[in-house]
Amino acid sequence: MSDAQLADWRNLALSLETEVNKVVVGQQTPVRLITTSIFARGHVLLEGDVGVGKTTLLRAFTRGIGGGYQRIEGTIDLMPNDLVYHTYLGEDGKPHVSAGPLLMSGENLSVFFFNEINRARPQVHSLLLRVMAERSLSAFNAEHYFPHMIVFADRNQVEKEETFEIPSAARDRFMMEIPIVVPNDDDIMEALVFDTKFHNVDALVDTVKPDVLQFDELNAFSGILQGSIEASDTLKKYALNLWKATKAPLDYGVKVSGVDMNRLVLSGASPRGMSMMLRAARVNAWLNNRSAVLPDDIHAVFHSTIAHRLVFSPVYEMRRTEIAREMLSGIINAVSAP
Amino acid sequence: MTKSIRKYAMMLFICMAPIAAFALDSQDLPDIKEGIVTLETKDPEKLVGYTVGDVIEREVTLTIKAPYKLIDTSLPIPGYEKRYRGQLIGIELKSINHEKEESKKQTVHHIKLAYQVFTNNVVAKNAALGPEYLNLINTTDKKELVKYRVPSLTIAISPIAIFGQVKVENNMSPLLGPLLMKDDKEKQSLKISLAAIVLSLLGLLYILGKSAWLPRMGGAFAKAYRAVRKTDNTEAGLKQAISAIHLGFNTTAGMSVFNDNLSAFLHNHPDFYPIRPEIEQFFGLSRQIYFEPSFKPDSKFGIDSNPHQWLAKFTRHCRDCERGLIPEPMKAGA
Repeated sequence: MSDAQLADWRNLALSLETEVNKVVVGQQTPVRLITTSIFARGHVLLEGDVGVGKTTLLRAFTRGIGGGYQRIEGTIDLMPNDLVYHTYLGEDGKPHVSAGPLLMSGENLSVFFFNEINRARPQVHSLLLRVMAERSLSAFNAEHYFPHMIVFADRNQVEKEETFEIPSAARDRFMMEIPIVVPNDDDIMEALVFDTKFHNVDALVDTVKPDVLQFDELNAFSGILQGSIEASDTLKKYALNLWKATKAPLDYGVKVSGVDMNRLVLSGASPRGMSMMLRAARVNAWLNNRSAVLPDDIHAVFHSTIAHRLVFSPVYEMRRTEIAREMLSGIINAVSAP
Repeated sequence: MTKSIRKYAMMLFICMAPIAAFALDSQDLPDIKEGIVTLETKDPEKLVGYTVGDVIEREVTLTIKAPYKLIDTSLPIPGYEKRYRGQLIGIELKSINHEKEESKKQTVHHIKLAYQVFTNNVVAKNAALGPEYLNLINTTDKKELVKYRVPSLTIAISPIAIFGQVKVENNMSPLLGPLLMKDDKEKQSLKISLAAIVLSLLGLLYILGKSAWLPRMGGAFAKAYRAVRKTDNTEAGLKQAISAIHLGFNTTAGMSVFNDNLSAFLHNHPDFYPIRPEIEQFFGLSRQIYFEPSFKPDSKFGIDSNPHQWLAKFTRHCRDCERGLIPEPMKAGA
C-alpha cells in the first residue's frame, strides 16, 4: 500500500474522531484511544462512573464504523445462551428459536456492545472469552464467524452490588481498558448540563456521520498498517525493558506509596498484552503521521493497554486503579531509551 | 735576672688590676646615679604557696644609658646559694638567660632568672629572690665602677603538708591560685584534631558537591560533555554521544526524559529554557538516529552538516544551563 493510501485512511480515521468529538465533548484522549483500538483490531473496555457518557461514546463510534451492531445488557440472570438464541412460543403455539445478538448480524457484525459487563455471570464471561479471542462461535451444529467484530464493553467499578469481577483471563482479551472521567472544563460541564442537544442521546448519536469507515476493509488495512510502521532495535529493547519492569518493578527502582512492592505483582503483562501494546503503538504512530514507532507512541497507549492486565495481590485489588496508574507511570519514568 | 722578674710581676699586676677590681664585692661599690638605669621586671603572678622543688621565673629588663655598660661577669652565677646573715636561705639560682640589644645611646639587657626552692618548713615563711647586685662601668672613665641593685622579690614558702589533722576545705587560701598543668601536648593534639576536622569537612564538601571542587561542577552535563568529546565522529560515536546526553537529561530530571515530557522537564528546570529549540532539535536527532532513520530533523542550527560537532556544542550549552549560566546562542553551522 502506498503512502498516499495510508494517508487516505489516516484522513478517514481523523474524520471519525472529529465526528465523535462533536457528540462526546471533552474526551479527546479516550476518543483517540478507541480509534487506535479500532485500527489495531482490539476490543475495548470502558471504565467509569454512571452517566459519564460511556455508552454514548461507544454508540457514536459504532455509527461511524458501520456494519452490524448488536447490544446486550449485562444482568445477574443473563446466561450464555441469551447471547446466542431466543426461544419463544409463536402465534402457532409452537416453540420457536431465533438468533441471539451474537448471531443476528452474521459475519457482518462489526460491533458487539456489552453494556455493564461486570453484572453478567462468569459463565457469560467464559463464552465471551472465546468470541473475543477467536471471533467464532459453535451453535446449532455449525461454526459461526465474526471476522469484523470488535467488542465494546463498559463497566462501573464503583458499584459492587450484584456484580462479578471480570477474571484476569477475560480482561486480557481486551486490548484496552479506557477510563472515562467527567471533563474538568467549566465550559464543557456547563454545556453538558444546559445544552439541550446533549439531552436526547439518540438524536445526538444520529448526528454522527454514518459509515465513515468501511468495516469490512479494516482487517486488511490493519495488517498492512502494522507492516508499514517500523520498530527499531532500540525501541524493541525499550519495550522489552518495559515488559520486564511490569513483572519486577522493584528491579527498576519503581515504588508505589503505601505498597509492599515485593508482594504487589503476582503477574506482569502477558506476551499477548505486550503484542497488543505494540500494535496499538504502531497505530498511534500512523495516526501521528510517523513511519516508525517512538517511545512517545508507547507512552500514549501504555496505561490503557497494560494496566488492566496486571494481576495484583488480593489485598491490593481494591486499589488496583490508582496503584496500576502510579506503578506504570513509575515504570515509564524509570526505563530510559536509549 | 731578679730585676726582670720583678718587672714582669709589676706588669702582670697592672694588667690584672681591672679584673681584680671587678672581683671586688659589688656591695662595696658606689650606687649608680639615678636616671642612668631603667628597670622593668616581670614577676610571677603567684607569690605564695611555693614549696621545695618549685621553680620561680623572673624576667628583668635593664636599660642602661651610655656611657655606662654592664659588666657581664657581674651577672649572678647559676648554682650560687644565697645566704642571709650567714645562713643559707634555700633559694638557688637555677639558670640565667641573658640577651642584650646595643645601640649608641643605650643598651637593653633582657635577663631571665629561674630560681629553685630548696627549703621548707612546717609553717609558712617568707623568702626572697635576690637582691642581685650588678656592676657597671663608665666606658669614658674606666676607673669609675658603680653598682646597680635589682630589688628582691618576696615570696612565701608553704609547707608540703599541713601540720596536724585539718580539713583542707577550711585551709584553702584565697591568695593561692590554682596550680596550672602544662597543656602543650593537649594544645598540639587540639591543633592536629582541628586540622583533621578541617580536612574532613573539605572532603565532605567535595562528596556533597557531587565530587566537584566548586559549586555546580561535576554535574550530569559536565560528565556528558566529557563523554561526548571522547566520542569519534562516526555513526557509533554519534550514538554514544546521543546516549550520553540522554543520560545527562535523565540524571538531571531524576527520571527518563522523552519528547512527550520535555515541557515538564523545562518547567522543573527553567535554567534550560533558553536552549529549548536546541533541546527539541536534539530529540529530533535522537529520533532519527535511534528510531526513525527516514525522519529529517530541522536543520536550522546546522545539525545536518556536522552532527557530532553540533552535539559537542549543544552539550556545552546544556552544561552552562546546568551551572546557571545563559549560553550564547548557537550559531548556524555549529
